[in-house]
Amino acid sequence: MGTVCVGIDTGGTFTDLVAVEIGRGRYHYHKVPTTTDDPARGILDGVAELLDANGLARSDVGFLVLGTTLATNAVLEGKWARAGLITTEGFRDVLELARQRRPHYFNLDIPKPMPPAPRDCRLEVGGRIAHDGSEVAPLAEDGVRRAVEVLKSKKVEAVAICFLHAYANAAHEQQARALVKKHWPEVYLCTSGEVLAEFREFERFATAAVNASLMPVMDSYLERFERGIERLGIRRTPRVMQSNGGAVSPGAVRRLPVNTFFSGPAGGVIGSVGLGKQLRLPDLITFDMGGTSTDVCLVRGGDPAKKSERQIGGFPVRTRTLDIHTIGAGGGSIAWVDAGGLLKVGPQSAGAYPGPAAYGRGGTEPTVTDANVVLGRLNPRTLLGGRMAVHPDRARAAIAGLAGKLGVDAVKAAAGVIEIINVNMMGAVRVISVEQGEDPREFTLVAFGGAGPLHAADVARNMGMRRVLVPPRPGLLSAIGLLHADVRGDFSLTRLLRAEAASLEALNAGLDELKQRAGAWLDGEGETQVGHEWYADLRYFGQNSELILALNGGRLTGPALAKLVENFHRRHRTHYGYEMRGQPVEVVNVRLVVTARRRTPPPERAQLTRGDPRRALLEKRRVWFSGDGFVTVPVYDRERLPADCRVAGPAVIEQMDTTTVVPPGARVTNDRLGYLHMELARTAASGRTA
Amino acid sequence: MRRVDPVKAEVVARFLLATAEEMGATLMRTAFSPNIKERADCSTAIFDRAGQVIALAQRVPIHLGSMVGAVDEILKRYPESEIRPGDMFIANDPYNGGGTHLPDINVIAPVFMGRRIVAYVANIAHHADVGGMVPGSEAAVCQSIYQEGIRIPPVRILLRGKLNRDVSEVLLLNSRTPEERSGDLQAQFAANTVGTRGVLQLFRRYGVKETEANIAAYLDFTERRFRAAIGRLPRGTFEAEDFLDGNTEGSVARIGLRLTVGTGRLDFDFTGSDPQLLSARNIPYRALLATIYTVAKTLLDPEVPANAGYYRTLHVSAPPGSVVGPVPPAAIGCRSISASVLGDVIAQALSQAMPDKALAGCGPHHLYVLSGTDPRTGSYFVNYETLAGGYGARAGRDGVDGVRVHASGSSNLPVEALEHVYPFRIERYALREGSGGAGRYRGGAGVIRDYRVLADDIVVSLSSERQHVAAKGMAGGKDGATGAFVLNPGMPGERRLQSAAADVRLPRGSVLRIMTPAGGGYGPPEERDREAQERDLSEGRV
Repeated sequence: MGTVCVGIDTGGTFTDLVAVEIGRGRYHYHKVPTTTDDPARGILDGVAELLDANGLARSDVGFLVLGTTLATNAVLEGKWARAGLITTEGFRDVLELARQRRPHYFNLDIPKPMPPAPRDCRLEVGGRIAHDGSEVAPLAEDGVRRAVEVLKSKKVEAVAICFLHAYANAAHEQQARALVKKHWPEVYLCTSGEVLAEFREFERFATAAVNASLMPVMDSYLERFERGIERLGIRRTPRVMQSNGGAVSPGAVRRLPVNTFFSGPAGGVIGSVGLGKQLRLPDLITFDMGGTSTDVCLVRGGDPAKKSERQIGGFPVRTRTLDIHTIGAGGGSIAWVDAGGLLKVGPQSAGAYPGPAAYGRGGTEPTVTDANVVLGRLNPRTLLGGRMAVHPDRARAAIAGLAGKLGVDAVKAAAGVIEIINVNMMGAVRVISVEQGEDPREFTLVAFGGAGPLHAADVARNMGMRRVLVPPRPGLLSAIGLLHADVRGDFSLTRLLRAEAASLEALNAGLDELKQRAGAWLDGEGETQVGHEWYADLRYFGQNSELILALNGGRLTGPALAKLVENFHRRHRTHYGYEMRGQPVEVVNVRLVVTARRRTPPPERAQLTRGDPRRALLEKRRVWFSGDGFVTVPVYDRERLPADCRVAGPAVIEQMDTTTVVPPGARVTNDRLGYLHMELARTAASGRTA
Repeated sequence: MRRVDPVKAEVVARFLLATAEEMGATLMRTAFSPNIKERADCSTAIFDRAGQVIALAQRVPIHLGSMVGAVDEILKRYPESEIRPGDMFIANDPYNGGGTHLPDINVIAPVFMGRRIVAYVANIAHHADVGGMVPGSEAAVCQSIYQEGIRIPPVRILLRGKLNRDVSEVLLLNSRTPEERSGDLQAQFAANTVGTRGVLQLFRRYGVKETEANIAAYLDFTERRFRAAIGRLPRGTFEAEDFLDGNTEGSVARIGLRLTVGTGRLDFDFTGSDPQLLSARNIPYRALLATIYTVAKTLLDPEVPANAGYYRTLHVSAPPGSVVGPVPPAAIGCRSISASVLGDVIAQALSQAMPDKALAGCGPHHLYVLSGTDPRTGSYFVNYETLAGGYGARAGRDGVDGVRVHASGSSNLPVEALEHVYPFRIERYALREGSGGAGRYRGGAGVIRDYRVLADDIVVSLSSERQHVAAKGMAGGKDGATGAFVLNPGMPGERRLQSAAADVRLPRGSVLRIMTPAGGGYGPPEERDREAQERDLSEGRV
């Protein structure tokens, strides 16, 4: 067993690395540019540098987790492989017909997304399974063979086999899979039932097709990564973070790359869960605000919220993911005035280059960062602990242009930019809280990412939340979070059945099938000590969306089923305000989650001494606050803030990777581990929200 | 212009829009009929106390208009002193209830701050059956609105938060599928409850006076923004026409339009349109407005907020008693198909004013309602479905294949969901190759879908447009293919069915084929880009 853990968080511009010496609780950090030509190379160099610089032996690395944005980038940049589709006769256009809605109700310039399998690479074969799994017509094997020949000639790299009702009976898909494998052993291959054993053909086919097209890209990346890690002398198999917050072997990711779209942001959420455990704060809303986007996620009782469907490249991808809601707004978002004279912020971003006007790299558009500089919230001289000069004159010029169009002064314009970005953030928090029936006022807002702590207090106040937590290293929380990941696999299977005694046999057969699939998967992961959690998705017969309820084990009995139905009625009332006792209840899917828990690394030992916060005072500066205007406030250096000290707002706390704004009426405590706990004063907005 | 803080106005508007979205999510999650839950045939909105739409969660654009009418009709009938907290109104009648056809049931709730109404929240959901002569309550063959189902003027379905059974019992008795109706209404109440909560939160935060001032300002900003868009068009008058199917198979009815682009306003004059029809193809006033609002927004400024601010710039006159200004008892059930043809007329006129954004004729959806007894369960069902056509090509872009056009917008029913609940096997669901009108830019393809019947007592009613009048090509582009209903294609006894029919019996084992019309092309076909031509061929699209 090694004594060092390594976490690698691949970002759009930079990759953050962290190494932890388990025994000594010592943390080491490194940051390298993300290389785009060969993404694996930059990471491998970074790992070597991080270990060598700190005198850590490569052979001591016992656990290494990678958070990757490869799948997301491949889709955004259209770099996924051309895939072929073998499908049921009469249904080759399912991917294009989608749900027959246009991509945008009003904007006709937005075309339908291009399926990863173009029309001439979508081939139909005879054979049909009915909704109940019975065979209507046998699979036309020669059709499959012909399809292979055509797809070979079209030079596709991957094939998805997608037949109707495969969730009810996968026999035809498996039969076709064996044939393709036999005649074309080297092609990347997946079936819709393996990727997602749930009903609704468009969603399942789309998920499978996206998966197939990512297989070649992910495989070659992980191949280089794994070999590189081996060459470095690290003997343990690395793990890759999945969208569900669990880390798995590269082999599992190669088969289901579709499970990694939220690999990157998942680290921050799992990191927040980890620090929540440590600080005994089980109910959190994570708020990760960067330069171009912001991710939020709700954590209740130490358990992050999950979701079953995301839109990826215009296609629904149904896999179990953390319910991370992303909006395209961050510190680099550009402010502008629309034709009606209203102020808007984003979604255009100045990015890292040219960046905000204040960075002096040639940017002239007014951004959120520029507004923060004009209002004194960001240091008007330097950022990054003095390593980067700030150009307040350029920020003011950019904001002045905006103010001219609005017919207001520069301060008012800058304040408007802040108000609007904050209300956008509030919208994001609403989606994951109020819209899910959760009252955000019961949660602590965990602020991280470069801009999170700058806006967190305002966002919290807008939502009526009273507590904000800023971890010691907000910029590195995602990398640290990777080390908190368990090994986790999610399995589901559609079984549309009435929740009544007559269905017990079929339901239990479904649960057994899940157990078998999970067992095979666990063998591949090399895990034996695991926990099983069983769930069923239920709805009133005739409804369309389901509530997920926990089962008490992998076997249903008559009384257990009755209890499940009772729980469903109650949950429905809690969620939607009514129940329908006379209406039959239906099981839609059964689910199994297997988790192999890992010991998490110890928290970083801070070397804080007690004392007076005044010794950390950097300067006094005029800073603008919503509702109060400009106030002269103390600015503190976070690195020098003593343990257990209190700071009353208004104040600003600066550190290398971020700035925390403390509004009037708020109080901050710096605890022994270096966490900032901010308590906000009650305001009118703390009235009922949900 | 009022001097109001543009920042706060934006904040208030965003808040209300988020609330309307939350209402929509609640409605779809809890509804029972496939129409609402699978096909999202529903919308949610928030109104100010005068009945102006201030925030609309867009799911189906035709509801833009239905939503406009709802509160107006209540205000006409009930003095504020008679409305109590916890009351909810229900209405569907196009002539008295602000609706656009009877299956779309509006549920409206006043929002009280203390004793005063400060806003209304409302939602509209398409119910699969509200009685009348055909299952599904929507068929072109209806000759009078009395054949189309129960007509509901604004009446209270909830009294101080309690179900008013005097009303609900009448309603449920008039539907072929009362249980589903009851579940859908519950979902509609739940959506309004969520909406009320959100609106109150906002009013509490800023106070009534300030919130109202900001709402008014936001509508003004929206109006100004759309005036700016109109200001980019050349002034002048532009004429256009197209044709609906008429009273007999093969005859037609004209929709004529004179569009005048003025200073900051557009005037739509439909004088010269044919008299109202003895079929359900007539377009009632709110559907006319909705289509104008949709097409104008689409072509002039797709991102303008959907609220009453921009409606103010659009002025409409339609002769009473015409297909676009029907009077009772004209039938109107199929207005969403006819409104697609109307949308083409409006687009044709606007295209002359903005040639670089021009849009050719579109292929509207076909509507069919299958009903009977499912032998697997022994229960009676009504399956209301629509199958999309294709968008017209534009000056610079191919038309979108296989989508709902103009003001219509609901989703399809997934094959795997359908086969679970109804006794059919879908044997084909595909784009109609070669159907899109040829041109420099190709019209969007229509769709083809085959139903194999697996029960003994199935009947279907059929409604359509553009089986006789094709979607027009533009600037030298060719017309889109027309649609068709075919019984037993390629089998003995193959026959084409009428474009509008009720109670057509489908024997067990027979196949019903629906082929929807496609969009027209733009520009001469010989000018089509070589690469695009090759792709059309290799992908088998032409």
